[in-house]
Amino acid sequence: MWNDGLRHSRPLRTRREFISDGFCGFGSIALACLLRQDRARAAASNPMSPKQPPRAAKAKSVIFLFMAGGPSHIETFDPKPLLTKLNGQPRPKEFGEALYQFVKKDAKLLGTRRTFRNYGRSGIEVSDLFPHTAQCVDDLAVIRSCHGDRVVHSAAQYELFTGRIVPGFPSMGSWVTYGLGSESDSMPGYVVMPDPDGALEGGQPMYSNGFLPAAHQPTMFRPGQRPVLNLDLPPGVSMAQRRETIRLIRGLNEANPAPQDDEFSARINTYDLAFKMQMEAPSVFDLSRESLETLDLYGVGKEPTDDYGRRCLLARRLVETGVRFICVVSGGGPGNKQWDAHGDIEENHLRMAVETDKPIAGLLRDLKRRGLLDSTLVLWGGEFGRSPEAEGGKGRDHHNLGFTMWLAGGGIKGGQVVGATDDIGLRAVREPRHFRDIHTTLLHQLGFEDDELTYPYGGRDERLTLLKGDVISQIV
Amino acid sequence: MNRIKTPSNNQLDHLRLKDALSAHPELPGVRCMRAWVIVLLATLSTVAQLHGGTIGAKERAFWSFQPVKPFSPPAVVNPLWTKSPVDHFILARIEAAGLEPAPPASRQDLIRRVTFDLTGLPPTPGEVAGFLADASPDAYEKLVDRLLASPAHGEKWGQHWLDVVRFAETEGFEYDRAVPGAWRFRDFVVESVRSDTPFDHFLTAQLAGDELAPHDPTMQVAAGFHRLGPVRRNAGNQEVSASRNEVLTERTDMIGAAFLGLTVGCARCHDHKFDPVSQKDYYQLQAFLAATQENDIPRVSPAEHAAWKTRTDALNEEIARLKESLKGTSGEAEARLREQIRKTEESLPKPLPSLASIRNDLAQVTPVHVLKRGDPDRKEEQVGLKGVSVLWPSGAAELPPETPNPRTILARWLTDSSNPLTSRVIVNRIWQQHFGAGLVRTPNDFGANGDRPSHPELLDYLASELLGRQWSLKSLHRLLVTSACYRQAVLNPRVSMAKGKAADPDNRLLWHFNRRRLAAEELRDAMLAVAGVLNPQGGGESVMLPVEQDLVGQLYKPSQWHVTDDPSQHFRRSIYLIAKRNLPLPFFQVFDQPLLQASCPRRESSTHAPQALEMLNGRISNELAAAFADRLRRESGDNPRGQIHRAYLLVAGRAPTTAEQTLALEFLRRSPPKEFALALFNLNSFLYVE
Repeated sequence: MWNDGLRHSRPLRTRREFISDGFCGFGSIALACLLRQDRARAAASNPMSPKQPPRAAKAKSVIFLFMAGGPSHIETFDPKPLLTKLNGQPRPKEFGEALYQFVKKDAKLLGTRRTFRNYGRSGIEVSDLFPHTAQCVDDLAVIRSCHGDRVVHSAAQYELFTGRIVPGFPSMGSWVTYGLGSESDSMPGYVVMPDPDGALEGGQPMYSNGFLPAAHQPTMFRPGQRPVLNLDLPPGVSMAQRRETIRLIRGLNEANPAPQDDEFSARINTYDLAFKMQMEAPSVFDLSRESLETLDLYGVGKEPTDDYGRRCLLARRLVETGVRFICVVSGGGPGNKQWDAHGDIEENHLRMAVETDKPIAGLLRDLKRRGLLDSTLVLWGGEFGRSPEAEGGKGRDHHNLGFTMWLAGGGIKGGQVVGATDDIGLRAVREPRHFRDIHTTLLHQLGFEDDELTYPYGGRDERLTLLKGDVISQIV
Repeated sequence: MNRIKTPSNNQLDHLRLKDALSAHPELPGVRCMRAWVIVLLATLSTVAQLHGGTIGAKERAFWSFQPVKPFSPPAVVNPLWTKSPVDHFILARIEAAGLEPAPPASRQDLIRRVTFDLTGLPPTPGEVAGFLADASPDAYEKLVDRLLASPAHGEKWGQHWLDVVRFAETEGFEYDRAVPGAWRFRDFVVESVRSDTPFDHFLTAQLAGDELAPHDPTMQVAAGFHRLGPVRRNAGNQEVSASRNEVLTERTDMIGAAFLGLTVGCARCHDHKFDPVSQKDYYQLQAFLAATQENDIPRVSPAEHAAWKTRTDALNEEIARLKESLKGTSGEAEARLREQIRKTEESLPKPLPSLASIRNDLAQVTPVHVLKRGDPDRKEEQVGLKGVSVLWPSGAAELPPETPNPRTILARWLTDSSNPLTSRVIVNRIWQQHFGAGLVRTPNDFGANGDRPSHPELLDYLASELLGRQWSLKSLHRLLVTSACYRQAVLNPRVSMAKGKAADPDNRLLWHFNRRRLAAEELRDAMLAVAGVLNPQGGGESVMLPVEQDLVGQLYKPSQWHVTDDPSQHFRRSIYLIAKRNLPLPFFQVFDQPLLQASCPRRESSTHAPQALEMLNGRISNELAAAFADRLRRESGDNPRGQIHRAYLLVAGRAPTTAEQTLALEFLRRSPPKEFALALFNLNSFLYVE
């Protein structure tokens, strides 16, 4: 069929709309030229087929180690001796004001019981919560001056994932597959592995594709051997039978009187792709092919690292098959099952850290020795940090004015500390880095500058960041 | 110069409203119309104060701010092709481009197309046969009238409006709390479509129903419009003014997108880069909502409510007391206390049935300031109420913040016959849903950054027709679907591929019909209908389907999902399934259901492998394939030929071709009927409307 068959495919239409919007009708020649390119591209017609970024990229995949609930910077990567000295006292006036979710103005400062040591050639300080990750510190760019705009979970989670404090916008992972497609044709391009303990405040909208086409929605992995919904055959149907059914679908669709049509052939191809995913996925999930040494590296088979270790190992296997964006969540369900240590920072963080430290170090090492770390950007952090003040004596409240995240791999220059909070860890004072700077840096490593990855929505060419972000230049 | 309105226009409008009242006694909320008129007359003098001024022509030169002009249909070379004035506008452009319209669609394609378009369901084989056998010259018009009168029409078009107004039944964010009685808003919309409520009334009821008729239940429901957005509620929230600002922002942006077709939200942080909407305009628009407060109206007797409140207050006091005594305890004592608190909290009575609506509280009007970069902590000058300047008389003062019935004034401004946006925006939405793309392809954005109309005269013609037809949307549907343009085939053998592509690659001139994929809800509803299990029951509380436990586990409070007990409810139309912000159904998600967080003016239609996985392995498709196979056996016996024939009539509205018959027969010799039924759900002939 010779009419505009791929009309239904949003990427085609989008780019056309984008161009006609962008030039406001003045770029008709450029438009016609790009339309031809679009048409050529439409032949491939799979929204997830791999695409070249506009610039040379250092990273091809991203693994986001999401520490949900907000890990304390003070207990992990940002030592504050003065805070410990001021334990039990009110915050000195010169540090300024802060708004928390729960703790009030009269709260007292809480020192940390953690001890810090210098690690690696870089000598970066890491607390005793992370003895394994500390061994990899020369690969980490530790951003001690992160900040965000909201001090409550849901809004902060939306901002971390989507750049907006309200739900409805596309997450990092959706933007990345929208920009780059996927190099895997047996796995979804954007995968989230939630913590089996439960969901988070931001819920599904935080991971979602927002207004981007449905092809860019996340695939949520379930715990267990068969993580992907709908990859299993329905009860009582054999693989051989299913092959026959798919053959029938193709046969009947091709016997249809309508002549050839781009969208129709694209749809017919999705069945082949679906079948391929179904055939190949189980081998990706089968960790028994890994050596004992590798399993041990991630802490698989031992408590309390087994669960997070399995998911980190699976993340590496997904990277190997060409998946673009993988989010491995630590923390889920009610607050204390996350890093959300309102009640007792010691108890909470000791527990959360020991579950994740070895798996994360294992992942970094494993990626590195396989030559994958260079092209895989690993991001670690939560939606905020925790308050220097005590909540209820032993806990810490949410805190968005200054906290730590780190990046590694994917061309990031490790062994560096970026920025600083003040002497009690209240506020990012040197080189403050907003979430938008993290987002911009991440896209930069993937081959996109600021405005090179956009989508027209609601009168704006929307992008991952609301305001323009800056690349953290010293680490790229 | 574009005059916004004159007092005499207003007077005429009121007469028209009264006429409409007596002409449509069946309208929902009609009994409160008398009250409307009284309040409207009271606000009239306020509105009238604003008249008489003029604004500079420069801003108004932009096409969408120009007055709607009642263009006459242009002359065409081949008037025989035309069936309606609409066709003159379309054909004139096709002819001018040296193209020809496509031949008419086959009658089989046409009945399938118009049935899906007007009801969201496939025609039954009986309906198809009846239409094919009807040789009368007005057979098609009779079909259109039957479909427009069917209850299913309300469900199909109600869904589109629900998309536009970001309808959902929960508040999103972490609690994702139920919006009390939100399903009543859905029923209000469906009923309004069914009874063809004039669009100006429909709009006014949503914007200001509570002001016009505070005690009328229908108007209270309609005003729930303002409660449909996502709302952030947090324990211990210390950012009260930021939260209020978020709510006002969400509601203002909604009004801009849904009714004005302007992305006013961009002006929140800076003067709009593209439209002559200033930052001040934005906040003046927001000021119409500044007195608006949430109003959860109990739907029980006052005595029941009082009893509930007494018990709830007592338990809450007890909980507060226990929490207080927690301080200073530890170990076992603390654990005991916590357990006691948990138990007390569990014994709190369930929330009473109530309705999420709104009301004005003039005693606590939120002062609205221009906010530097949209930041609630950076207040600049305070503003009063005013419509977007470019459409508001220049020199007219803004109204004071405590103006009574502010949203009625806003609604009057929007529905005034001289407001050039409201009528254009709604006719464009309807056009889009019938033809695949709007005359303006950005239905929520008629500003400078949006699309320009492909047929500006046609858009204005339709907008004036709508006003002339008392804002009757059904009449507009009829006008569009009875046109020759709508009845064209998808394929146009009269125009060569090269010529068509060169002249009009996007088919904006509509020289053939646009094929479309079924929307997510249509697809499920059609599967239910084809399988013979569709439960046509309308209205009422929303249904929760059984879903994968892991999916429920994605809710922060998994207890919020309780599957509807009666399994026959699971087979109701998709519009009656709960719209829960934090738990969209995977089936709908893969087929481009919007996210339920913001206005969706136009559905995506993507094609990707997870759709195939959902259709092949998903619970919904497999369950319905089994039912479909049973139906085929029931209706056509064990004869495979008969089953195949029947199956094609149901799924594609036509008999199978010989090639299809052969392939299917071959398959059924070795494979179970359920797999055959499943394959048919995956046919392009089923998934697409020609």
